[in-house]
Amino acid sequence: MYGWIWRHLPGNAWVRALISLVLVFAVVYLLFQYVFPWAEPLLPFNDVTVDGQ
Amino acid sequence: MSVRALVRTFSELCVTVGALIVLFVVYVLFWTGVKADSAMDDQIDRLQDRWAQDSAPTGADGGGDAVEAAPKKPGPYKDGEPFAVMYIPRFGFTWNKPVLQGTGTDVLKKGLGHYASTARLGQPGNFAVAGHRRTYGDPFKDFPRLRPNDPVVLTDGTTWFTYRVARKPHKTVPGDIGVIDPVPRRSGFDGPGRYLTLTTCEPEWGRSHRLVVWAHLDATQPVDAGKPEALRR
Repeated sequence: MYGWIWRHLPGNAWVRALISLVLVFAVVYLLFQYVFPWAEPLLPFNDVTVDGQ
Repeated sequence: MSVRALVRTFSELCVTVGALIVLFVVYVLFWTGVKADSAMDDQIDRLQDRWAQDSAPTGADGGGDAVEAAPKKPGPYKDGEPFAVMYIPRFGFTWNKPVLQGTGTDVLKKGLGHYASTARLGQPGNFAVAGHRRTYGDPFKDFPRLRPNDPVVLTDGTTWFTYRVARKPHKTVPGDIGVIDPVPRRSGFDGPGRYLTLTTCEPEWGRSHRLVVWAHLDATQPVDAGKPEALRR
């Protein structure tokens, strides 16, 4: 999987490393901005009321 | 597809899932706190701006208008908007959190939430507030350390309200809505009064129970008179 991505990136090793880094940051950003905020309320840390809201 | 490729792909998947889990733990334990701290500071700033605006005109125009402005009634609490700041010296001298109207998930990300169906701050009845014990800045992390007679101080910009905790935190089940009744059930209070109820989750990281603390209004003083004694060092 990662080998496949690496082979399909353009440029020499340095350029590929740079693009990989950018890709990693992009993925982490998407996770923190959209995926985790969606998933976090499914965990039990939000239930602090006694009226079930 | 060779066995080698299969094994490689499988191990890469495992590494990816592991990294995801670690990232999610970082998000829950650390990042929600960072976000909540800045959101809470933001809410307190907004409150202080509003209070500064409210108090400014009375000094500026004076004369006949001032008589009309004096008995100004505070408006209804707006959903999701901050209206007070809470101080609990037991949680640390610098501990202060905004109190917002409503107890929805989004509201509790920005501060403590006031149960919309309960009394207003300082009024007869029960002023009930919920807060996170863990994640989103851990506002009620030290909840079990509250002891009888501990002060819980709130201000709405014009008045300081000092509540005193009645008894040690009470553990109950999630549907026990009676604990936020005007005269809270099992609180030991036996007649109408001006009460405060705080709720959070129990166990610390779980959802099976709730912790509840009750307090009664002990003293009030105008903001002009300076900080109440409970907040003086």
